[in-house]
Amino acid sequence: MFSKTANRLAIFLLFALAVLPLLAGIGYALLYSLGVTGALKTGFTFEHWKKLFTENNVLASFLYSAAIAAVSLLVSVSVSLWIALTNHQRFRKGALSYLIYLPLAFPGIVAAFFFFQFLSKSGILSRLFFQLHITHSIDGFPDLTNDRYGIGMIVTHCFLSIPFFVLLFVNFINTERITAYLQLSATLGAGSRKSAFRVAIPMLLRKSLPNIILYFIFMFGAYEIPVLLGRSNPETVSVMAVRKLQKFNLLDIPQGYAIAILYTVVVFSLIVLMLKSRKIAYDL
Amino acid sequence: MTFKPAHISRMAIALGCILPVVLLFGISLSQNWAFPKLLPQQFTAANWSALFTKGNSITTGLFTSLIIALLVASLATASGFFTSQVIAYHRFRRQLIVLAYLPFVISPVIFAVCLKFYFIRMNLVGNIMGIVLAQLIIAFPYSIIFFVGFWNQRIKQYQMAVNTLGGSNGYAFSKVIVPLSRPMLLVCFFQCFLISWFEYGLTSIIGYGKVQTLTIKVFDFLTEANLYYAALSCCLLIIPPVILLWLNKRIIFRRIE
Repeated sequence: MFSKTANRLAIFLLFALAVLPLLAGIGYALLYSLGVTGALKTGFTFEHWKKLFTENNVLASFLYSAAIAAVSLLVSVSVSLWIALTNHQRFRKGALSYLIYLPLAFPGIVAAFFFFQFLSKSGILSRLFFQLHITHSIDGFPDLTNDRYGIGMIVTHCFLSIPFFVLLFVNFINTERITAYLQLSATLGAGSRKSAFRVAIPMLLRKSLPNIILYFIFMFGAYEIPVLLGRSNPETVSVMAVRKLQKFNLLDIPQGYAIAILYTVVVFSLIVLMLKSRKIAYDL
Repeated sequence: MTFKPAHISRMAIALGCILPVVLLFGISLSQNWAFPKLLPQQFTAANWSALFTKGNSITTGLFTSLIIALLVASLATASGFFTSQVIAYHRFRRQLIVLAYLPFVISPVIFAVCLKFYFIRMNLVGNIMGIVLAQLIIAFPYSIIFFVGFWNQRIKQYQMAVNTLGGSNGYAFSKVIVPLSRPMLLVCFFQCFLISWFEYGLTSIIGYGKVQTLTIKVFDFLTEANLYYAALSCCLLIIPPVILLWLNKRIIFRRIE
């Protein structure tokens, strides 16, 4: 159907712009982490990898990132399911059908900035609590940003992801004729709650599983939000990798690359899982 | 007037969507906003009018972001459209799509630190061309994934029908395929524009602080504790996406109707 030249050019583009940079980047990071290349090369060694696994903060960082992503997803998927199932007709026409797009216009750094201004100790919520005499000083307001539990990060992730999942679920409700199934289950005697939990939610979750996994990957590797709203201990994977690679201690660089490799392995494993979860359709 | 729980939930959703925009614009229009005042002591358009002064760094950042995003969106859409067509009908379709997925899903900032060595070697650190290339490495695979579903049997049959009637591949492409795919091309252009427009981590590493896009400016203003200019930059960052997403919705809905 296409000329050989067009075929070759397309495959060349795919390899030059997607595959080659990936292989080159991972290859360099791997060689650096094994002491084979870079300014600190010492010859082939597993020393930096050993350090990585003996230092608890690296494992903690991976678990912390995964926990933040998992909790954010759990909250946003649950809230989105509820919004989509109770209000799906409102997202076809009218004000809500436009307003739901507004949070999608927020880059991560803008959302993080907003929630910093909204949730921090000197932020808008704290001022409101002070004016309502719920708190009596700036210290009376709890830590909701740069906090131990990552509340600021979770809220920001939810703000950015809920509209995406609402639109996704509303789309599936329409295309998969979920309302027809709900009517059928109601005809067979199921209550609205039972119909939602036994019919609609399982169907929507199964259909959107690849998107949920993909969103987990994005949240797991997020940088802008944790760098503004996170804290230095524990820190997320991206922040830790960049800190080790970009800051002043040169001895940290091989470890930084080892973290990047470990992160890539985790992400690629999740992608394999995602592709298995949907046999044919790759489209986002 | 009575409020039912459904009304309240809809109002809460609307408020959750509007409040951040209103507050960001409010902060960008204010000065002197010390704790515990709920509202700023002074509202002023001075921050916004400063945008029109010569050499303003935010205006420069806005144009830099715009140039980079337009270049990335144009290149990624065109190359992704072309490449996805070949991939979609290729016998190794599945494997090639998996390859396209991989660079797109890695955290851009981690990807950037791994690639920085090569960018330094190619003299592409700290300049716009380097950032365009780096962002293209993310936007191009996205474009392929976006378009690959478009190339179905129906499109193939249209093209074959043109060939049967004596039209060349080029004629089929320009007179049938491109008009059919115009809405998809526009949506992909918008999405790639947004990928570039939203980008911070990769730009900060490959740009090396020398290329000051709007996202970089937001971070700089935050570290300088210049809340009002940071909010102003944030407002400028969300205006184009709001317009594009609105157009996006109009285009998608028109296609469905």
